[in-house]
Amino acid sequence: MCRLPSGAPGIRMATIVEAPIPPKQKRSRRERRNDGGSALSTYGLLAPMLILLSTLFLLPMYYIVLFSIALKRFSPTDALASLNGELNSLSAELWAKLLSVNVTVMLPGLNFNVPVLLVGIIFLVLLVAAVTASRIPEYGNWIVGIAFVLLLTPFMTLPAGNNLLRLVELTSDGDYLRLFFKSVSMAMTSSVIAVVIAIPVAYFLAFCVGKSKYTWLLIVIAPFLTSYLLRIFAWKVILGDQGLINSGLIAIGLVDEASPLSFLIYSQFTVIVVLTYAWVPFICLPIFLAFETIDRRLLEAAMDLGATRLQAFLKISLPIIAPGIVAAFLFVFIPSIGEYITPSLVGGTQGTMYGQSLASQFVGGAFNWQFGSVMALFLLGVVLLITFATARFLRAGGGGL
Amino acid sequence: MANDTSTFVVISPWGKRLLTAFFVVFLLVLYLPTVLLVVFSFNDGTVAAFPLEGLTTKYYGLAFSSKEIRESLGASAWVGLGAATIATVIALMASYPLARRNVRGKAFISALMLVPLVVPTVVLAVALLLLFQKGPGQVGLGLTRIMVAHVVIAIPFAVLILLPRIASIDRRLEEAAYDLGATGLQTFRLVMLPLIVPSIISAFLISFVFSIDEVVIASFLSSDQVTYPVYLYSGLKVPEKTQTLIPVATIMIVISFVLAFGAEAIRRYGDRRLVGK
Repeated sequence: MCRLPSGAPGIRMATIVEAPIPPKQKRSRRERRNDGGSALSTYGLLAPMLILLSTLFLLPMYYIVLFSIALKRFSPTDALASLNGELNSLSAELWAKLLSVNVTVMLPGLNFNVPVLLVGIIFLVLLVAAVTASRIPEYGNWIVGIAFVLLLTPFMTLPAGNNLLRLVELTSDGDYLRLFFKSVSMAMTSSVIAVVIAIPVAYFLAFCVGKSKYTWLLIVIAPFLTSYLLRIFAWKVILGDQGLINSGLIAIGLVDEASPLSFLIYSQFTVIVVLTYAWVPFICLPIFLAFETIDRRLLEAAMDLGATRLQAFLKISLPIIAPGIVAAFLFVFIPSIGEYITPSLVGGTQGTMYGQSLASQFVGGAFNWQFGSVMALFLLGVVLLITFATARFLRAGGGGL
Repeated sequence: MANDTSTFVVISPWGKRLLTAFFVVFLLVLYLPTVLLVVFSFNDGTVAAFPLEGLTTKYYGLAFSSKEIRESLGASAWVGLGAATIATVIALMASYPLARRNVRGKAFISALMLVPLVVPTVVLAVALLLLFQKGPGQVGLGLTRIMVAHVVIAIPFAVLILLPRIASIDRRLEEAAYDLGATGLQTFRLVMLPLIVPSIISAFLISFVFSIDEVVIASFLSSDQVTYPVYLYSGLKVPEKTQTLIPVATIMIVISFVLAFGAEAIRRYGDRRLVGK
């Protein structure tokens, strides 16, 4: 918000005192415009947006809630409704179908079942700890760090060829929840990889290219603004069985023509690669802006006092850029959980994600709008929970957007 | 900025070499898919696969003689221009009071405005489908439905561009205009508008670029008439069809680049003018 310089009110007062007849009416009009405005014009200007968002955002959300608890049905007759398995009274049955399942935690050499509710509570506690514990003196930062690690590890995969390596894995005997966990782990893996790639790029742009850095930044971000579909499609040309990599490997004789590296396309690996590629240019921006806020004299002072470059980075740069990094992570993670286009083009059957299953409840084979509403609300709930919990970071990182 | 005066070198020479190498590889990988698409648009084969089978421009001709492609491009242009215009006007109207006046419930309004940004597109798409199919008034107009849905998501982008710019303009300029007897509308037209035109153009372009690339909502809400991304999405699933899709895709990519760089150039021009250099 723009504020008047501190001297301005004084100047205004002086004008008023010196004037022979205080221009009372004019002053009050000016004051009104600046500080309150007429309510009519203020809300008149806001009205189109509020009406549009109410009818096209809040109303659809209201509808989806009605459908998820089966207060509304969409078949014209009772007979058709019962044929389609629709309910017409308030019911949590569909929610139970999604959520009353067991979650299995798979550690190396050890599996155990946990009820869904407990998993939810544990994640909530970890999320709250990760976001708020930094206010606790002394051990606060350790708690934040541990909470982040515990939140990330169950979903981190190492996309190594045909096999995805995991330290811990969450799975479920409920099909939809299992698919959800799989989507979260794919989204999280690509977010972490994207951040790890974007940090050195942003560092390079902020500290190594001098005056032309904004031009280079634009060159880095520009691909993000071109067609998403085409960038996905181009990866098919690179990773496909007759693609750039396979035909290159066949040409130099490393791979037999009859058995190309098939994990490259239509797998979880492909989805992770493509999602990472699609989002990296975008998140270079918040991380770059975070680096830009570092006062170089702090680093200089640290090194004058005998710190190594690594120490200076860890003790000064890292705490300053941490909110930007968390924001960058969320910028990839939040849209990726519900991703639907990418897996349906390059994921094949192995790389299916929750968003596809959700979409198929509406336009595909599964066709159950009410259960689809439940799936949509569950996804929305998780996303909004993460967003509100981390709003502080999103604001910090979104300053330049 | 004060820290720019420091001559302190943040990075060791070897670190810098390593980072430069990393950056070069990064840029190569970043632009590889785009370059490949351009190359394949001239490929004389039926499927987009290696090895290349000679050069031809025949697919460009084929693409533009295709009625389906022309119709979908027309639909996209209509939806994109409409959505960008509506979103920019509504966002401009809303940004002014939000930047300048004490609006009751500002926090709620801002939240309502920004939430569509984080709602997964597939959720918004199915919710809108429910509304349009099962809601009170059942709207049958395919393209208009897509257009208004795009407005919902384009508004936050436009507001995020316009609001900070309006807030950064010195209030005393407007006060001076009022003191000289200008009406509210005159003040806006003669004082405010010239200062924010670059941001308005930039908000329009961002909304347009978003709309002509949006596929999830468009595919859920489209009926018989499809937009270009929806056509492309269905076509990309059929390997035999892809070769005819690439030429238009290449042109679209070039247009997107021009628009992106154009929007940025206009924004910078506006920044410079506001500072008064």
